Amino acid sequence: MTALLDPTDPRPAEQTSEPRRSGPLSRRNLVATITTGYLPILLATAVVVLPLVWMALASFKSPGELLTQRPSVLPDSFAPTNYTDAARSVPFGRLFLNSAIVTVVGAGLKVVLAVLTAYALVFVRFPGKRIIFILVLATLMVPPQVSVLPNYVLISSLGGQDTYWGIILPGLGTGFATFLLRQQFLSLPLSILEAAEIDGASHWRRLTRIVVPISTPAIATVALVNIVFEWNEYLWPLVIVSDPHMMTLPVGLTLLANSESGADSYGIVMAGTVLVLVPVLVVFAAFQRYIVSGLTQGAVKD
Amino acid sequence: MASVAAPPMEVPGAAPGSPPAPRARTRRRRRPSRRNRRDYLVFLAFAAPNLLLIAFFTYRPLFSNIYYSTLNWTLGSPYATPIGLGNYQEFFSSPGTGRILTTTLVFTVATVGGSMVLGLLVALALNRRVRGGGFARAAVFSPFVLSGVGVGLVWLFIFDPVVGVLGAILRAFGSSSPQWFNDPTLSLVMVIIVYVWKNLGYAAVIYLAGLQSINKDLLEAAAIDGASSRRTFFSIVLPLLSPTTFFLLVTTMLNSLQAFDLLRIMTPLGRGTTTLIFDAYLQAFGGSNRAGYSATVSTVLFALLVLLTVFQLTVLERRVHYR
Amino acid sequence: MSATPPFRPGTLASAALDRRRFLGLAGLGLSAAALAACSGPSTAPGARASAAATGIDYSGVKPAAEITWWSSNPGSSQEVSQQIVDAFHASQPDIKVSLVTAGANYEEIAQKFQAAQSGGQLPDLMVFSDVWWFRYFMQDSIVPLDPLMDAVGIETDDYRDSLLADYQYEDSQWAIPWARSTPLFYYNKAHWAAAGLPDRSPKTWDEFSEWAPKLQAAGTGVQHAFQHPALAGYAGWSFQNNLWGWGGGWSKKGSFDITCNSEPSAAAIQFLQDSVYKNGWAGVASNDSVNDLTAGAASATIASTGSLVTVLKAAQFDVGAGFLPGGPKEISPVCPTGGAGVGIPKDIPKENQLAAATFIKFLTSPENAVTFSKATGYLPVRKSAKVDDIIAAAPQAKVAIEQLDVTRPQDWARVFLPGADQEMAKTCANILTSQADVQSELDGLKTTLETIYNRDVAPNI
Repeated sequence: MTALLDPTDPRPAEQTSEPRRSGPLSRRNLVATITTGYLPILLATAVVVLPLVWMALASFKSPGELLTQRPSVLPDSFAPTNYTDAARSVPFGRLFLNSAIVTVVGAGLKVVLAVLTAYALVFVRFPGKRIIFILVLATLMVPPQVSVLPNYVLISSLGGQDTYWGIILPGLGTGFATFLLRQQFLSLPLSILEAAEIDGASHWRRLTRIVVPISTPAIATVALVNIVFEWNEYLWPLVIVSDPHMMTLPVGLTLLANSESGADSYGIVMAGTVLVLVPVLVVFAAFQRYIVSGLTQGAVKD
Repeated sequence: MASVAAPPMEVPGAAPGSPPAPRARTRRRRRPSRRNRRDYLVFLAFAAPNLLLIAFFTYRPLFSNIYYSTLNWTLGSPYATPIGLGNYQEFFSSPGTGRILTTTLVFTVATVGGSMVLGLLVALALNRRVRGGGFARAAVFSPFVLSGVGVGLVWLFIFDPVVGVLGAILRAFGSSSPQWFNDPTLSLVMVIIVYVWKNLGYAAVIYLAGLQSINKDLLEAAAIDGASSRRTFFSIVLPLLSPTTFFLLVTTMLNSLQAFDLLRIMTPLGRGTTTLIFDAYLQAFGGSNRAGYSATVSTVLFALLVLLTVFQLTVLERRVHYR
Repeated sequence: MSATPPFRPGTLASAALDRRRFLGLAGLGLSAAALAACSGPSTAPGARASAAATGIDYSGVKPAAEITWWSSNPGSSQEVSQQIVDAFHASQPDIKVSLVTAGANYEEIAQKFQAAQSGGQLPDLMVFSDVWWFRYFMQDSIVPLDPLMDAVGIETDDYRDSLLADYQYEDSQWAIPWARSTPLFYYNKAHWAAAGLPDRSPKTWDEFSEWAPKLQAAGTGVQHAFQHPALAGYAGWSFQNNLWGWGGGWSKKGSFDITCNSEPSAAAIQFLQDSVYKNGWAGVASNDSVNDLTAGAASATIASTGSLVTVLKAAQFDVGAGFLPGGPKEISPVCPTGGAGVGIPKDIPKENQLAAATFIKFLTSPENAVTFSKATGYLPVRKSAKVDDIIAAAPQAKVAIEQLDVTRPQDWARVFLPGADQEMAKTCANILTSQADVQSELDGLKTTLETIYNRDVAPNI
């Protein structure tokens, strides 16, 4: 972070990270590297991060500090009053556990289902695959509001209220992940798979030994985005869960909102929002290694 | 993870042209049918779980919704009157519908265009190996992680003309804050800005994954041939990214057409910001609890989405370049 | 519970419709149709008559041992609500209440309640606001509370009459007041002093028109002497004060006769528009006028008593509170009530209804009314509540409690017409922020409100 925010010293970074394979290129394009690499990154990071920093700072402010025409940047104190208040009204430990279970199981199963389906759609012979694909894709077009009521009736008649499987099951069928992976698989070189087929490798082997390893960035992206979706899912868990012990984090956070007067709870809600954000950022930090699997591959040169 | 880059990625020549699918199909037809039957079973084993879940939890509700759209039904009431296509008639003859469709169009085009173009620019920058890049990647992605409610509140307080920091900055420069919330046009601009802010990280990460799978030899070859960076970008990188672009176009458009959390928090009345999905929500929950009419709006939205996607698949995907 | 009855030709309005519907269902495939149908409403005529609520006899019923209470925690009330639940458990061993946050606002709680109506797990006790309960009544999903009140001994005499009256329709009581509020006139005492004004709220809007220029000129750095509340959520509610003061109203007292475009109503709204455009002493809040007052951008505003706790916590100056100003026609009563009450769903066992009523009695006891009021700023709903404690904590609350004696039940057009509040807010937004023509906007509003009445209300009452 400090390195990024210190634009005075970009040169060493450039030289240490790229010299071996592209020394001449990088020297020639040093200025371009700074203008097309550092400047946009700095700019984009600033635009995106400043509001988040503002949010983080607000989570330490009292209502009096928030409601002023001349807001100061730093809070009067960094005492975590809003955080302790938030923790007092919401059993964070339990909610965190519920969210973690739902997210890990839900996103994990989704990725597996999507990999299998996308592989089948791209590499396995079946009549009417195109139609099936369009039907899968069409699921992205059904507004989530639409499915809440009918799914509620079905899941509650199966006894899924206030259960983990009741929260997870309706969201498992995934058009989004299947679509993304299909796009990725379509762009794989067919010759490798044909060679494997001639060698007598089964579909399962071709999938696990060739397709999945090559597609790590895409699969990691799918996993990441699905983790985010599951973690933030609000409407469905709100409707299907009535037992406070089974609530997920976003649902529990509504405890903090004040429908009568926003400013009263603004600091607390910001604290809650920060708490929801942090775990996902940790997950992202872990995932981006796979998304940006560039240790052996270089960067885009120009 | 060493295996990630291990398999050789063969790129079919300098002119990576025709998609492989048609080629494969003609070859497959010659294969023996016993083989086909086994493939069919494999297909079912692989795809059936997902397909069944989709059928049960997405299509079944969709059909229920189409059925509801033919009813005069107040939300929560156990009684309803079938009125055939009455709701559709009302929707298409209502004077407000034109404005809703225009708002939807403006919001969708601006948010899809904005997040994709900015997302690509950010991805290109992030794809360079620069110090601090890891932090920047996580930072740019983080708004996408936030809930719509949290984002709505953050920006509500930034844009607020009185207590907002934006107004305070403008006042410091002797100007005054625009009426973001009271002026319907500015309200639309505001929610577009916030939506793009929240979603460009998603486009950036997907583009980044796409850029990562581009074969580096190709780019180095182009560089050695003396192609300018602009030329390399437009004639090599962008075409190779076309599957990613196509994917993003479809998904961001669908997401944008279904975005309403942010709109609801920031502009509860929907003045200037009532898109189709927001209208469906307002009809069912914000206002009169007209579940039947709301179902009609959702169904119209669904039909529109299907049309757009079929268009994208039939017209645009043909231009998409798969290796 | 609301499965569609089998297809019966002839019972529906027209044969053509039957055929279309049948073909439509057949087209979806039988299983899909069956599944779709069981989550939908009944379309059979006559079902409604048979389901009409009849008085339930609770004699000999034993209260259930466990009940669920759905709340959206208005006024950040989760903590104090749980406190009262715990006190209830300590006071008796038989009934256990579990408090469930069923949404962040009244829309979300309605969403969940609606889903539960179609065969899920209903709450035994539920919070609903002034503009929502009538919908539940029309949908036949809540019970009249009178027999339950008799059974558990809830004495209506001690509840504030105007608050209780808000939930009466067809001689039945449909909810018990709980988190109740009124609008209140808040002002910045320092600004008042700087402008040389007496330390009180204006008696009439005319008086405030005279004060406003002094406040603007007092050099306090305000943007406006007065900030109109954010129109979403407030316009339909607090502008009743102006409408009544000018002798108008959204609708005629105690009827569905829409009068929002009558001469006095239009004059009242014209006054509001002039305050913004012609006279320039008022602004319109973007999100929350209380924030704008607290930040010192306005000298006065009107906001809910539920905001009192926030204002006092956040403001860096002395906050004054007073009655709402009167108008040229009417000085008092010109203050509407608002907020939420608690009620009981219909489709749950009698035992649960009885247990829920037992808890309501405890929840709204004079002592707990005080506890709740102190924590949230909502008004104590009982006449015998010892308000000294509340006033000691916040002297401004005294005004709010006194104002309760001069409240007027809200116009039916706002509280009984589903979605009317939203329409009123939109109309007022056009008038107050886009300078639209007052009369033609109000004419349009009348048409809209009458459509809502004819479509959504008239057939259901």
